[in-house]
Amino acid sequence: MNRTADQPEPNPLREGLAARPVPQPCNIVIFGATGDLTHRKLVPALYNLAADGELPPDVVIVGFARRDKSDDQFRSDLEESTRQFSRQPVRDEMWNTFAQSIFYHRSEFGDEGGYKRLAKRLDEIDKTHGTRGNRLFYLAAGPDQFEPILKNLKAAGLNQTCKGSWARVIIEKPFGTDLASARDLNRVVRNSFTEEQTFRIDHFLGKETAQNILVLRFANAIFSPLWNRHYIDQVQITAAETLGVGTRAGYYESAGALRDMVQNHLIQLLCLVAMEPPTDLSADSIRNEKVKVVRSLRRWSRSEIAANVVRAQYTKGAIHGEPVTGYREEQNVNPESQTETFVALRLFIDNWRWADVPVYMRVGKRLPKSATEISVHFKKAPPVLFNKDLRDLNVLVIRIQPDEGISLRIHAKVPGTSFRIEPVKMDFHYGTSFGKPSPEAYERLLLDAMGGDATLFARSDEVEQAWAFIDPIEEAWHGKKDAPELYFYPAGSWGPEAADDLLARDGRAWRRL
Amino acid sequence: MICSPGTGVPGDDYRPGMPAAVETYSLGAPVPLGEIEQELKKLWHDGKGAMTRASLMNLAVYSEQPGSLQRNTRLMAQITENHACRALVIEADCNANEDHVSAWISAHCHVSSVGSKQVCSEQISFLLKGRCTTQLPNIVLSNLDSDLPLYLWWQEDFRESIDSQLWTWVDRVIYDSHGWRDFRSQMRLLELMRQEANCRIVLCDLNWTRLDNLRFALAQFFDHPASHHRLSKINRLRIDFAPGFRSTAILFVGWLAAQLKWQVNEVKSAHELRFIGASERHIDVELRERNGQPVHEIVLTSGDVEFRVTYAHCGDLLEVSRTQREIRHPQLMPAGNNDPVGLISEELIRGGPHHIYLNALNCIRDLL
Repeated sequence: MNRTADQPEPNPLREGLAARPVPQPCNIVIFGATGDLTHRKLVPALYNLAADGELPPDVVIVGFARRDKSDDQFRSDLEESTRQFSRQPVRDEMWNTFAQSIFYHRSEFGDEGGYKRLAKRLDEIDKTHGTRGNRLFYLAAGPDQFEPILKNLKAAGLNQTCKGSWARVIIEKPFGTDLASARDLNRVVRNSFTEEQTFRIDHFLGKETAQNILVLRFANAIFSPLWNRHYIDQVQITAAETLGVGTRAGYYESAGALRDMVQNHLIQLLCLVAMEPPTDLSADSIRNEKVKVVRSLRRWSRSEIAANVVRAQYTKGAIHGEPVTGYREEQNVNPESQTETFVALRLFIDNWRWADVPVYMRVGKRLPKSATEISVHFKKAPPVLFNKDLRDLNVLVIRIQPDEGISLRIHAKVPGTSFRIEPVKMDFHYGTSFGKPSPEAYERLLLDAMGGDATLFARSDEVEQAWAFIDPIEEAWHGKKDAPELYFYPAGSWGPEAADDLLARDGRAWRRL
Repeated sequence: MICSPGTGVPGDDYRPGMPAAVETYSLGAPVPLGEIEQELKKLWHDGKGAMTRASLMNLAVYSEQPGSLQRNTRLMAQITENHACRALVIEADCNANEDHVSAWISAHCHVSSVGSKQVCSEQISFLLKGRCTTQLPNIVLSNLDSDLPLYLWWQEDFRESIDSQLWTWVDRVIYDSHGWRDFRSQMRLLELMRQEANCRIVLCDLNWTRLDNLRFALAQFFDHPASHHRLSKINRLRIDFAPGFRSTAILFVGWLAAQLKWQVNEVKSAHELRFIGASERHIDVELRERNGQPVHEIVLTSGDVEFRVTYAHCGDLLEVSRTQREIRHPQLMPAGNNDPVGLISEELIRGGPHHIYLNALNCIRDLL
């Protein structure tokens, strides 16, 4: 958004052509280059940027992985997957030019020599491809490999650059598994890269509607006076998916829904909804306000956790009429697994704006539909005139995915001689109003990292504060004494009854999606 | 004068009701002038299937060319695929003996980018004849979709006689200076018009939009700070343009001059210019007329480095290359479309004020 301290003076020919930090020529080194993320997301995203003219021509991709492969073989593999996963059709002439800038570097992640060879190769590419000594390291390998990669990058001097160049590192979640491991990871990262060089990616923040939350709140004067405890009754955030654990059982068994979704994606969304207006649009101004929200989340005692958090696991059921197995019957899942596939939480943000406004969050697998939505429920109008019998509140819904958009529920008189009032919905759909499809989240985030804009990336203190909130819940769940119950829900339902009770106790109910 | 709200001849393939999925390019149903809103309501009410009416703006297009209603309807059908709007398509026949206004309503429906929902934009078409053409502001202003901006695509030369009331309502005026015979007088009228609207109107010249991708392609060479010094060492510029597109090439020169603080030093001929840069360095500009795209090659020389932007063989891609000591790395970038739909779409996507355009214009005003 705004130019950061390490951003160069603007190019006068760019004036009026780009309203964002311009991505710089660079070498993008992807660790874990033969993995799913590279093939399904990263390279298709880079191809789309190139095809849209958003990628500087002097960008080179170097895949770093253990398997033996030639440059041509790597290019051919990537072409196949890009043709399958790209947002737009792949054009031969465009791919051929794009592929000329793709290289493969074989090395073990722990082999220091491999990094020295990489450094030499990057220097050569700088000379031949005009990448200017800029390096963007993308850690798409498993989190257990982060430490050796970061250490070896430092040992090979790849974390440092000459004047006028930069080196940055993008880290994929999970950013640790608890506060201690997150701190440890941050320490490891800091040993090699400064915070300004570190970009922790949360792809939810790259979604168009997530970015639009700030625009909705701070570019529309009508919402500003209403956006507080005086007018808002409750906030709900739902991230539902119909999919089961699929092939991710190995990771998911040790993570669960709380760590996998709440600690990062949902808390990030909550921050955007609840934060104070930043002083400007610089990355740190925005992240300063976000971290205050996380710090204001009310911490619970063990007994309060049982009353405010519901965990559950899906059993066999049906999705879209098709029978599906229960979580414990999934491949590579412990038949006695205690891992939660559903979490519902009742949160409070103890600050001036949000005191006593409950935030209800739920996230789950094998729910009846896939949708991520935030709903802001406004308080009832005074119970006079029309409002004596009205039950439905005004609700502002922000749809993150799919069908990104915003809707507002208001009351209207039903036409006729009687005075019947019913809720109606004013609906804005991105796909309807703007014909141009939104770029993939990874496209936006990669471009931001190349431009040095960290606004949509998590800072270390945000991550640590989020773990500080999550850890007591995990500890309570996995404690030997008085661990809160693990509930069960049939696949295809909206979770266990206990999740409904969480709201029913407050005289509220989950919004119907 | 009586402007009769006539019911004109429907389009060749007129069908009552709203098209369900097929784009017909029809003018649609003829409607009396005073009943347009009611008839539009009926149109939506009678529509079949899951349809959503969408509108982000009022997009009015005005032409005096016979047959422009059909031609512009076709363009609107394509433009609305990506830019939901209320389209107001106006053809004026100022020389007609009779005074008459005909109106039609229709809809352009497209399957949305998400799901199978049809997104529809409505179109109101007007044929103004004789003295009724002076009723243009009255007709446009009474048929706007409320609270949405008005973009007016003016396909004619500007005239002094246009009712100034119109300009006070227009948010963006879109025109193509490429077709102007007298650039200076047209600009003078546009500037007058802007003043009448308290400079609120954004001037959108499609001749400038034509240069968007070329400007983008050239600009990216200088993104890295290490390249910035090259800008002050530019000593030569060559632009190849198609016959009839000299003004487009000159606008490109104007852009460089405005952004890099060059001033005209000498006009050797219509095709040879000399500018002087901030450091008193001369920049020789050569404009070559060649068949091809409106502006199909730009070569900028800065010392021993040559920056080249040229159309690739496939036509819709630009090949960009930087050559130094015979080392050259060509890359491809999108070239965009130079057809009216492509240019209007580009203009609508970009939005924002065009102060860079005005700066460019000021630098080369006397060369056009």
